[in-house]
Amino acid sequence: MPFTDGLTRRRFLQSGLIAGGLSALGLRSARASAPSSIDLPFDRGHRPLVAFPEKRPLMVMTTRPPQLETPFPIFDENIFTPNDAFFVRWHLAGIPTTVDLQTFRLTIRGRVKQSLSFSLTDLQSQFESIEVAAVCQCAGNSRGFSEPQVAGGQWGHGAMGNAIWKGVRLRDVLEKAGVEKDAKHVRFDGLDRPVADVTPDFLKSLPLDKAMADQVLVAYAMNGEPLPFLNGFPLRLVVPGWYATYWVKMLNDIEVLNHDDHNFWMDRAYRIPHNACGCLAPGQKPTSTVPLSTMPVRSFITNVNNGATLSAGKPTLIKGIAFDQGYGIDQVLLSIDGGQHWDAAQLGKDYGDFSFRPWEIRVALKPEQSYRFQSLAINRIGESQQLHAKWNPNGYLRNAVETVHVATSG
Amino acid sequence: MLPHQANLIMTQTVLVLSFSIGIFLTSLGSLAVAEEPKKETLSISFPSDPFSFQPGPGQEIANTYCVICHSADYIYMQPPHSQTTWTEIIKKMKLAFGCPIPDESIALLSEYLIHQNEISPLPSSPSHFQMSSSPLLNAQAVLDKGQSVYTTHCLNCHGPMGKGDGPIGKMLIPPAANLTVIGQKSDKELLKTIQDGRPGTAMPSWKGDLSAQEILNVLSYVRTFSQK
Repeated sequence: MPFTDGLTRRRFLQSGLIAGGLSALGLRSARASAPSSIDLPFDRGHRPLVAFPEKRPLMVMTTRPPQLETPFPIFDENIFTPNDAFFVRWHLAGIPTTVDLQTFRLTIRGRVKQSLSFSLTDLQSQFESIEVAAVCQCAGNSRGFSEPQVAGGQWGHGAMGNAIWKGVRLRDVLEKAGVEKDAKHVRFDGLDRPVADVTPDFLKSLPLDKAMADQVLVAYAMNGEPLPFLNGFPLRLVVPGWYATYWVKMLNDIEVLNHDDHNFWMDRAYRIPHNACGCLAPGQKPTSTVPLSTMPVRSFITNVNNGATLSAGKPTLIKGIAFDQGYGIDQVLLSIDGGQHWDAAQLGKDYGDFSFRPWEIRVALKPEQSYRFQSLAINRIGESQQLHAKWNPNGYLRNAVETVHVATSG
Repeated sequence: MLPHQANLIMTQTVLVLSFSIGIFLTSLGSLAVAEEPKKETLSISFPSDPFSFQPGPGQEIANTYCVICHSADYIYMQPPHSQTTWTEIIKKMKLAFGCPIPDESIALLSEYLIHQNEISPLPSSPSHFQMSSSPLLNAQAVLDKGQSVYTTHCLNCHGPMGKGDGPIGKMLIPPAANLTVIGQKSDKELLKTIQDGRPGTAMPSWKGDLSAQEILNVLSYVRTFSQK
């Protein structure tokens, strides 16, 4: 069938669906008032809002395996992203649909003196429990804004979330098994599997020194509740300051290696150009790459939408969030004129170096003007956001100053 | 209201109705360290794919290979890519992820994906024909037509005798369904699976690809596996 015919037929069917859809809904007010989709401001950015298990309606980028984005207004309403709104990203469609805690075990093996296996209650009763507030951010968060656009999941800014993670220190678990002297990396596997056995299973590794760091947890709770299924129930690795690719979900196997890990997800995926900025001139291909790890500093304005019309006259409150890889936020600057002048915002409550840090500032706006709001965060070692977006072929590491275009009424 | 908005309302309604959550909460009151509420067993079921590949040359390739690992919306959310880029992506699927697509199908699939990516997809509708309560026909003509559909669309996964041992079906996790042991399932259940696909598995929705009559024909043929 020629494509032109296909399009005509589709339009016809769509108009049928409108009539059918409205009558099927009976125009109930609750349903009619709830938005059914969100359009991200880039090509093919249309995202239906669908409620997956244990989740409120989130922006569906893909259904199988599920990749769900948090609608941005949620970051204005909460410093800690609610579990039912937290973004979801799986690589492989072979996700188990049932987890039974009677039989679930976490295994520690490889270059250890003694292989061990723990139930969830073993972990909770045998080790000290630790809490850390930390941002979990997909390495490809904001990829949809890459210019030129690149292949991969076309996320807006909502492939991130902040939570209080509770669990046991990975170090304590490794020390109980006894790490051998030649140990070099620690590799993590979850219950998810590829659909076909020829597809590489999703495995990630940390260098031993990172695996032994204070804040790295085997977490069983998130914001005071067990992990949602789609966020890794019953256990996930939490690596504060590092991108979410390392935060292995449904964690059930830890293998200590005495060599570098050359599995696909370390050697071929989640890699950035091997240079100081992790970036290239648009369109270029890297000659050598390294695994990405830490998150560069970012900030967002959360209470003003791009394209908003604000009233002038009285001071206007602008607020937002900032975070980095764990040095902590030193200051956030705000510009309303596209970066010509900057004023320091007031930082809000400090929930820890790995958490979202709230900030706010009041600005005076004149009537009938257009403004370009921008926020710029600087961390405690002086690293700041990029004024202009860096580019790399996989759309990783975005930390550009984002612009919110605003007009004022008369 | 724009047509695509109405579409998505429908999509949402369909999806909300099409899956359920089963969470079984058991309190482990005896555990001293149990501060958080405990879930003893957690089960979920995934929603159906909201979109299926649209008609056009190459649809069958997409429905055979792409959907093994991911839903059709992986294509619709991509930015516009050149045929070179789509070809690179397909080759990555083949070489890095093991997609069993034959080399000779790559060119047609890359063209098809360019066109698919240009359109806004048609959301899956609950069903495109009324389920019939009358028994399926076993007339030889129907079985012949059903066999032809089966050979073209189903055999790669479900195998020549329906045992789930086709060249692709064998390597799936879970493997393709064994159609010789579905005697207990109602026609309605099986028609729904063929039409809408099986959430969480590589079984795609066939309603965009096959007519209502073709789906009935292939079901008649599939029924013969359990009689042999």
